[in-house]
Amino acid sequence: MNHLTVHDQTVALDKDGYLLNLADWSETVAESLAQREGIELSAEHWEILQLARGFYDEFQLSPANRPLIKYVASQLGPDKGNSLHLNRLFNGAPAKLAAKLAGLPKPTNCL
Amino acid sequence: MATLHVLSHSPFTDSRLSSCLRLLGPDDGLLLCGDATYALQPGSAQCLALELMPATISLFALDEDLAARALKTPTRVQVVDYPGFVELSCRFAKVNSWL
Amino acid sequence: MPQSLLIISRQAPWAGPSAREALDIALAGGAFDLPLAMLFLDDGVFQLLPEQQPTAVQQKDLTANLQALPMFGVEALYVAERSLQERGLQTHPMNLPVQMLDDSALTALIDRYDQVITL
Repeated sequence: MNHLTVHDQTVALDKDGYLLNLADWSETVAESLAQREGIELSAEHWEILQLARGFYDEFQLSPANRPLIKYVASQLGPDKGNSLHLNRLFNGAPAKLAAKLAGLPKPTNCL
Repeated sequence: MATLHVLSHSPFTDSRLSSCLRLLGPDDGLLLCGDATYALQPGSAQCLALELMPATISLFALDEDLAARALKTPTRVQVVDYPGFVELSCRFAKVNSWL
Repeated sequence: MPQSLLIISRQAPWAGPSAREALDIALAGGAFDLPLAMLFLDDGVFQLLPEQQPTAVQQKDLTANLQALPMFGVEALYVAERSLQERGLQTHPMNLPVQMLDDSALTALIDRYDQVITL
């Protein structure tokens, strides 16, 4: 079993590093998860993570790349809702990484 | 773009056959296999509906499923074996299996 | 040019896996930019009713997932008028922007797509 220790909290992860219990998520947990990926979360990251969580709330599933781009574009405009911007923020794998850092299940419709 | 519709469920327990009959195009084909061959039971409304389909629509049934159920085929039915099934799948532009 | 695909979903949402499987095909195809459409036929139209509460039968919310279809690029959404009529639903609110088609329009729809999957 994979674990992440954040202060005095132990968080269970699956083999790919996604939260096993979505309720374990917090901003502190997100920062720790990001650190494991070599990412320091900026305001630009946070707004995408919030939207990914919004997507999950609305549709009860994690977005694949295309829907994530479309959703971000619909909320923040095309300057942010494009693959270049999202790839840059999330090491070239925006759907997988944004879901991981936002505490969502691994997206199923991604290669 | 004629379609071969493949049915395998009994028409007496569900609506696949009746829905399919309403959606058939004029050059489509209909292949009955498995329990869908019960649609050929003489005297049933389903069998009558099949007999009344426009003549341009081809009706096929799988030989071994007919034999297993002791079903006799009306004259408009073309009986096919498995190689015939494969040949039909290639002859039509697409196959729609009603799973 | 990839082949176009029509997915016909004709099972009610909570009793078996078919409705979920049809939606998964649509979401996967949409994620890969396939030109595809979805048609709700027969009991499949029950997937379109708002305010269903699947947690009461311990199921994931398929109707919430359906809302994601446009986000996955699946915007060609159709429903069979006759299936609605048979179930007394022709004026009922729907949870998706579906276009209602009569029998002959459905025949033409099936004809237009390269491949068809019925679940």
